[in-house]
This record gives sequence, C-alpha cells and structure tokens, in this order.
Amino acid sequence: MMSSVPATDRKSKLLVYSIEECPVCGQKTKRAFAVGDYVTKEAAKCTKCGNQTRVSLVYAESTKPSG
Amino acid sequence: MSLISSIGLQGLTGLSSGDTVTIIYIIFFMGLFVFQFAFGTRIQVYFALNDIGRGLSKLKVMKEKSRKEAIDYLVNVGKAANDPSQRVDQFLDYVTIMPVGIDPQGLVNKIDHVVTTNNDRVRAEVGALVTQNNPVTVSISENLLEVATALNMIHKVVRHYYILGKKTNSYFTLIQLQMLMPMIIQESDALLNAVDSFKVGQPVGDGIGPVSVSKFMVGKEKRAIAKDTVMAISEYKGRKLYIVKADGPMAYVGQPGVAIKKIVEEMGVKPSAIVMIDAALKLEGEKTGEIAEGVGAAIGGIGVEKFQIEEVATTHKVPLYAILVKQSILEAITVMRKEIAEASERVVQTLQRVIEEKTKEGDDVVVAGIGNTLGVAQ
Ligand SMILES: [Zn+2]
Repeated sequence: MMSSVPATDRKSKLLVYSIEECPVCGQKTKRAFAVGDYVTKEAAKCTKCGNQTRVSLVYAESTKPSG
Repeated sequence: MSLISSIGLQGLTGLSSGDTVTIIYIIFFMGLFVFQFAFGTRIQVYFALNDIGRGLSKLKVMKEKSRKEAIDYLVNVGKAANDPSQRVDQFLDYVTIMPVGIDPQGLVNKIDHVVTTNNDRVRAEVGALVTQNNPVTVSISENLLEVATALNMIHKVVRHYYILGKKTNSYFTLIQLQMLMPMIIQESDALLNAVDSFKVGQPVGDGIGPVSVSKFMVGKEKRAIAKDTVMAISEYKGRKLYIVKADGPMAYVGQPGVAIKKIVEEMGVKPSAIVMIDAALKLEGEKTGEIAEGVGAAIGGIGVEKFQIEEVATTHKVPLYAILVKQSILEAITVMRKEIAEASERVVQTLQRVIEEKTKEGDDVVVAGIGNTLGVAQ
C-alpha cells in the first residue's frame, strides 16, 4: 500500500511524480509520488539552502516509448 | 461435348449458353434485391444486437470492478467494522428525485435543497460505515461510491434499451444505441480509470483551479466560509485578494457559490472583479493544458453554484472573468497530466495580468479555484 514506486496507470503507462519546490531559492526536486503526498505538503529540507520545501505539483507523465 | 449441348437447354429453348448465364445473373441479383429488401434491417438488427451485447458485457465488468474497488477501499483503508457489501449495494440503487420543473420559480433553491440533503446523507452513511474517520478517507470513499453508482446506472440504462430493442425488434432503438455505444464505453472507461487516482489521493485534472489558487493561500490564515470550502486573504500589487477553494486535500468540490455570496453580502466586500479558474472540456483536436480566457461564471455541475454566483455578480454589478484550462473528460477525472499541472504557472500569470488590467490599486478581488481539490491542500 505505502509503496514509493511510481503508481502506474493501467493503460497508458503513466508514472506519477511529486515536485518539491523550495520557496526561497526555487530549487525543484522531482521524485516518485508516495501515498499521502498532496500539493502544499511540507517535504524535505532544501539540499541547496536548507529551507523547508513544499510539494508544489503532483502530476503524471507517460513513460518514454521503450527502445 | 457438342452432343450434350445440342440436346440440352440450347436444343430445347433455342437460347445460347451466353444468354443462359445472363438470365441466371438477373435472377440472382433480383433475388438479392428482394432478400435485402425483406431481411436487410433484420440482418442489421442482428449485428447491432451483437455489438451492443458485447458493449454491455464490458459495462457489466466495469460496474462490478468499481463496486469491488469501493468495497475493498472501505474494508482495507476505511477499516469498515462489518462487511459493507450489502450496504454498498443498497447505496448503488439509491435515487435522488429532482424537484418538479413546471413552476420554475425558486427551482434552483429546491434543487440545491435536494442535492444538499443527498450529499449530507452520503457523508453520514460513509462516516457510519468506516471506522477510520479521517476526512480524506471519508471523502475518497464518497467519490468511489459515486463512481460505482454512476457505472451501475449507465449499465442499467443501456441494458434497458438493449432488452427493449430486442423485445420490440425496434430497428431505430438499436441502431441509435449502437451509434452511442463507443461514447458510452469511453466515458465509462474514464470513470473506471478515475478510481485508480482517487484511491491513492492523487490530484485529478479537474483540480487545476485549486492547484493554481493554492499558491496564493500557502502560509495565510484560512477560514471555513461554506461547507467544505475555505477562504484566505492575500495581496497582489495593492489589491486585496479573497481566495476561495474547496478544503483540501479532501476530495471535495465545496460550495464556491455560497462562499462568494457570503464574501459579498455578509462580509460586505465590494469586489471590482470575480475571477474564476476552472478546467474546461476541450474539443477533439484542441491541446491539453491550453488556457482560454473569457467572461461569465466558469463552473460546471448541476447549475446551483453557477446560478448563485451569477446572481451575486449581477445584483452587485461585479464583472465575472474566467480562466479555463482545456482537458478531456478522461484527463479531468484521472491523475493530473504534466501538461495540465504545468499550465498552473501560466494560469497564475494570466490571473495576475487580468487583475492588473481589470482592477486598480486598493480594489478588492475575489478569486475562486473551482474543481475537485483531492490531493491539493492550501
Ligand atoms: Zn532552497
């Protein structure tokens, strides 16, 4: 249930990501969506300036065609 | 060879073998014509029945899957005390009777009353069913049950016309249903896909309005202004912004109509503009995540909220502006696509431009992010 593996959409093979954004320096980190994530949730400390980051977006992206 | 032909057809009728072939051809095509005339529709009915039958079994599978997903969620996440199957089945057949429309005066209030009663009932029942009473779980359960109810209804109606068409051998009923079937399946598929995003609490495409306005609300004091709806006061270039959205990260749509009415009529705010941000259904061929601007109340649903907002705006002569993000029905109810999420930045820029263009410093502006706010807090 609480897996941090990107949740996949059955048909179009979508991977869901959470974007953590630092309000001070603007650094964005993209990671796999974890159950319990929501937009504006407080996330990890910024790796650049140490400020509190927040989840700014949660979105799905289709996987690149396998080749 | 020549002996056979000389005592055969040619000998008896005086026709050449070429004439015989022509006659057979004519008889064959005349027969085909009569056959087509007499049995053509029956054959088409047969194919239509086959086609609809296949679609109907697909719908049945979808309906059962959504029911099972709802039950599983209630048991596994909601920690329902007893087996909820029976309760869920009763739930799926629950009806909401819309008020009569022959005397339209005050109809919106009546619809609002019936719908509110139903929503309260759903929440109370789900609340009683699950022991894990956190609002996110309850709201997700409500949405999952709604999906299951919708699929149950679609299946029932399609089955009704299928059986009716079969019984009465009605060509036109069946052909119409056959024509609609691909669209019905597509929409049902979208509903079923929505279950996957709902049960893990991921924001859906319809949540683009809430996502866009949440950026203005972070860190501000929030207050409940209507059922499931919150408001925060923010500031942009000398304008005071009253930001409204449904209370996240629950799967709520809230009551933006009531909220805007309260801001204007009870709090005594005199806004110079109301800006609404919502997802809009794109036409085939339009790009997902495209932004459109307009005037008017940008809000879907049964029409109650739209009516309330239009009334407040008209009574107080407040211009209504709309910012819309295009998406398909599937994209609107399943996990938010990158193109839509990334449009939020452009939405904010558009919003800022609209505020700068349409209002002056010192003005009050109401901004409403419309849509399901699952996975989007503030
Ligand atoms: Zn930083």
